[in-house]
Amino acid sequence: MDLPRLEAILSRYEGESWDLIPVLQDIQDAYSYLPKDELQVVSERLNVPMTQIYSVATFFKMFSLLPKGKHQIKVCLGTTCHLRGGGRVVESLSHRLGVEVGYTTKDMQFSLETVGCLGSCAQAPVMMVDDKYFGRSTVDKVPKILKLYK
Amino acid sequence: MVNLTIDGRAIQAPKGKTILEVADANGIFIPRLCYHPALKPIGACRICVVEVKPGPPRPIPACATPVTEGMEVNTTSERLQQIRDELMKLVLINHAMECPICDKGGECELQDLTHALAVEKVDLEAVKLAPNPDYESLFVERHPDRCVTCGRCVHICRDHVGAMGINFMQRGYFTELGSGALPLDCEFCGSCIDICPVGALINKLWKYRARAWEVEKTETACPFCGGGCTYELHTRDGRILRVRNEESILLCSRGRFGFPVVEAPDRLKTPLIKENSNFREATWDEALDLVAAKFKEIAESAGPNAIYGVGSARATNEANYLFQKFFRQGLGSNQLDNPGRYTYIQALRGLAAVFGAPQVSGVEAATTPPQPYQSPLTPGEGAQGSGFPFVLGHFEDLPKADLALVLGADVTPEMPPLGWKLLRALDNENFRLVLANPRGTKFDRYAHLSLRYKPGTERILLAGLFKAFLAANPDWTPAVSAKGLEDFKESFKKVTLKDVAAKTGVDETLIQETAALLAQAQAPAIICGTELLAQDKGEQNALALADLFLLIGKPGTPGSALYPVAEKNNTRGVCEAGVMAEHLPGYGHLEKAARGLPLPEMLDKLEAKDEAAPQALYLLGGDLLRMVPHRSRTEKLLKKVPFLVVQDAFLTDTAKLAQVVLPVAVHAEQEGTFISSDGTLGVLAQALSTNGVRPDWQIIGQLGERLGYKLGASHPKQIFRELAKTSPLWAGLGPKGSYPLMPGEVTGTFVPFEVDLSLPGRRPYTLIVGKALNHSGSFTTHGPEGTLKVTPRAEMLINPDDAKNLGLTDGDPAKITSSQGEISAPVVLAPEMPPGVVFLPEHFAAPPVHLLTLNSNLVRVTIQKG
Repeated sequence: MDLPRLEAILSRYEGESWDLIPVLQDIQDAYSYLPKDELQVVSERLNVPMTQIYSVATFFKMFSLLPKGKHQIKVCLGTTCHLRGGGRVVESLSHRLGVEVGYTTKDMQFSLETVGCLGSCAQAPVMMVDDKYFGRSTVDKVPKILKLYK
Repeated sequence: MVNLTIDGRAIQAPKGKTILEVADANGIFIPRLCYHPALKPIGACRICVVEVKPGPPRPIPACATPVTEGMEVNTTSERLQQIRDELMKLVLINHAMECPICDKGGECELQDLTHALAVEKVDLEAVKLAPNPDYESLFVERHPDRCVTCGRCVHICRDHVGAMGINFMQRGYFTELGSGALPLDCEFCGSCIDICPVGALINKLWKYRARAWEVEKTETACPFCGGGCTYELHTRDGRILRVRNEESILLCSRGRFGFPVVEAPDRLKTPLIKENSNFREATWDEALDLVAAKFKEIAESAGPNAIYGVGSARATNEANYLFQKFFRQGLGSNQLDNPGRYTYIQALRGLAAVFGAPQVSGVEAATTPPQPYQSPLTPGEGAQGSGFPFVLGHFEDLPKADLALVLGADVTPEMPPLGWKLLRALDNENFRLVLANPRGTKFDRYAHLSLRYKPGTERILLAGLFKAFLAANPDWTPAVSAKGLEDFKESFKKVTLKDVAAKTGVDETLIQETAALLAQAQAPAIICGTELLAQDKGEQNALALADLFLLIGKPGTPGSALYPVAEKNNTRGVCEAGVMAEHLPGYGHLEKAARGLPLPEMLDKLEAKDEAAPQALYLLGGDLLRMVPHRSRTEKLLKKVPFLVVQDAFLTDTAKLAQVVLPVAVHAEQEGTFISSDGTLGVLAQALSTNGVRPDWQIIGQLGERLGYKLGASHPKQIFRELAKTSPLWAGLGPKGSYPLMPGEVTGTFVPFEVDLSLPGRRPYTLIVGKALNHSGSFTTHGPEGTLKVTPRAEMLINPDDAKNLGLTDGDPAKITSSQGEISAPVVLAPEMPPGVVFLPEHFAAPPVHLLTLNSNLVRVTIQKG
């Protein structure tokens, strides 16, 4: 465990139990997931039981207990994207990456997940890789998009 | 009172009650699933919805709606039935229909409710969820696919136990009860099992051993701590199958899972007689004849004082009373004591010095015909009492306190029920918890102030507290009449806060803040534990706390009291029954010249080969070797005693030294009473046959018979009556009642205490010998199926940095050396331990931690890898 890295995060807060969510957010940002050993330290420092931490970590979609890939792919399956073929985009990505929704590729390059709405319904179907949007993404475009990150 | 109608029936109900409670009280059944009387309303299932006029147009949950004047409640309209039907279908969509193999069958609330609401079919469909069962965890089997997400287990674990071992995971449709990790790592109290309405949480000890309706239920008192819980033993074919507390559901791990100790393979079954340093099995007659003959011989040749008795905090009041009668009336000596001398009696002596010995007046004989285990005395009109028992609190009242100072007690391991009451006190938002302990404990999470002092500096800390308090409140007058305050103030003249802070390691400002909280408190309570009482100057510690209570306490205000932990089930009772060198039963007065030797002095006499040293010891249970400091010395001295008789359920280390061992019945096998830490009378009922062993009182009686003593031991009921007659303090006491029942007039005298540090040795680490949550004395270390599974061995808790410096990691064996001895124990890295302080539990036969101690539960040690 990289304790100094975690200490740097914890030092930004006062160590009270209500700091839990911001601390978890920072860990998620820094590590791209919530590693178990780190959570144990957070539990001791903030005096929050592990069960409470797991409860919070599994409640919010922004947290992940499994290591995430280098690039996060989010495919929108909101109403509009759903109607315009978002499902097919997911299927194609899943097929090409060889990974189920919610998981990460073996080489730890890509994590694939679906989301409720990305707020760009006019561009449907929409997908995101990290913080970049790809509007009107079709099955044809999937290999080109992936190529940018390989 | 509030007037309302439920289904057209006019009902009067107390204000503040909910519709569901009022309906229950009036025999009107409202279906419910998540509601449980032991918990606050959860309001998760919505099955208990009712229509209320005047009120919102939608149905509202009966469990969470208080009754109001003029309310009209309808519990059975067609709309409600439809809603309930729909809700039940939603609950059942994913419920694993495995009733034939589910252990909850027959006592499943979902089964009953489905039946009561006649839910015929579930015509809904949803994504199947993975069953994710947990068969790995100790004692608890989890089946999330049977869970109805009522939240009862989460609430009882969080709000009542304070363990937070289980919580909601995921959300929405995917919500499941989990711990986040496998297997469970919690207190293993199992309260979640018994509060679960369905079979999502299963008791592994009970699973598949009987159906709920096949068992016999016996209400009895729990023998695993001084908390005085009453529970039901569920037995079948002469075996205990499970233990339940139907009222509050709450039990601790020892209470719920400690019972297999009754069937432990190493239980003694027949008397043992030592011949050529080996034990052989003997008949009762043979063993009792031998003991009687030996006692007679010694009493005749060396006088009755040559036989010394040690009572037991495990044995019933009746056995202990008869034991002292055996000595006092039979032999005619006062040479007896009990092992509480090293802990609880220190508290009693400290309290008595400040608040005086108990005095009761106005007690008269009861006119009603005697009920079993009911005192034949009753507090008459104008009955009154004084002395220290009147400053000891009842647990029921603790939640009424507005401040608790917990000093030197790791509350939950020492006495789980006291911890539950502290959590209730914390419900009150004005309640303040001040926790003073050398190491981190469970209640730190709830404490408003945590004082982490160095081990053994309790009295210095208290002196600082007095100093800060008196400086901030120079004109303070105690709530009760108290003498000697001026002289007492004088005794702190040389104390400076700076010095106190340096010696204790507690910040000056923290001490001042604590003093300020104490001054504001309207109903302050003080809790202290064995960690403080078991020190060589435990009596001084108790004295200092008694002084503090005299200064700030508000006796007479509910909740404001002292709560010293009486560790074992009858630690308080054994003292009250008169098994003390200086007291007759009921703290009856004994002339100084007539008093016997206290236990430590008796050992000193043995060591000095004094003429007054006993030639025979009669031990009523109590593994002295394992529990008394400086084990090697105790062992050497006990070996010197020519004739040692031990009455115990197990062949303990002490029993191994005996010439005769008499096997005794344990709690479930006998009748009798215990006095809990807070003065509650717990009544034992016999649930199992004795299978050849005998209850303590019977053995003492039979021994007395052989010696020609008239002890009158016919039945515990009759012995209790005799004992209660000698104890006016118990006037009016009956089963589950708490004494004293008469008003007390509390007065006190401030007694200066020694402000010093007493910590034997000069080594770098301080070892605290204390209690582990899953064990009660050595009793629970015998049943391999019980709580021994959770805590199978003694592990030394050590600060992670200390461990790193010593080159130790989790599980490594460490060599621990004190001036008295050396032992080896595996280490566990524990961030709650401050640097330089280590902790070991005392319950286990190996390693024998008291090889290290000298005269206290604290000792300085050296630690090495190895």
